[in-house]
Amino acid sequence: MLILTRKLGEVIAVGDDIKIVILDIKGKHVRVGVKAPRQTKVYREELYQIIIEQNQESTQGHSIQIDDILSIFKNKIEKT
Amino acid sequence: MKIQTSRFGEIDIDESKIIEMRGGILGFNSLKRFIMIVHEEGSPFHWFQSLDDGSIAFITMNPFIVKSDYDPEIDDQTIEILEVDNAEDIELMVILTVRSEPVKMTANLRAPLVINKQKKLASQVILEDEQYPVQYNVA
Repeated sequence: MLILTRKLGEVIAVGDDIKIVILDIKGKHVRVGVKAPRQTKVYREELYQIIIEQNQESTQGHSIQIDDILSIFKNKIEKT
Repeated sequence: MKIQTSRFGEIDIDESKIIEMRGGILGFNSLKRFIMIVHEEGSPFHWFQSLDDGSIAFITMNPFIVKSDYDPEIDDQTIEILEVDNAEDIELMVILTVRSEPVKMTANLRAPLVINKQKKLASQVILEDEQYPVQYNVA
């Protein structure tokens, strides 16, 4: 891993079209701006991992009868 | 076009209904083509079946059925990559997670599938809005 020291307002260039800007530093919090092409999505790592795990979990458990769930669900809709 | 799937066996696909992923489902970025299959008549559930890997299918549903005030803000970047011309062309679906106890089923309201139903382009979007949970209890 490349480790760089940057001051407030300084920029890191990643490749030709990604820029990372240090916008603000307050104690343990750093505000970072990321400028990237449209196709490049930028996420907070922990949320990104949670969504990946949830997606993976969603492809499991299909052995359970979806019909059972459907009947529960229909009951619920009728009650509300 | 015929596709082999784990869930439905061999299915005949109407190619005009194929949905192309722009940006992919996170963790499944290599899967680019999907098809929506209605679970059964009158069911709120739709299978989002991969055409690139027949063993992968997600159960999805219209989020407004479980949360009528669902109103996520879709970023401009997504609108652009999905080539949305009219807001009415956007359809939202959320991915469900089915657990061993059916009543524990949850919907991922934080990362909906945003679909341009006119152009058949879709992307999974992670919302900035923290009010929408990854595991929203639906049953």
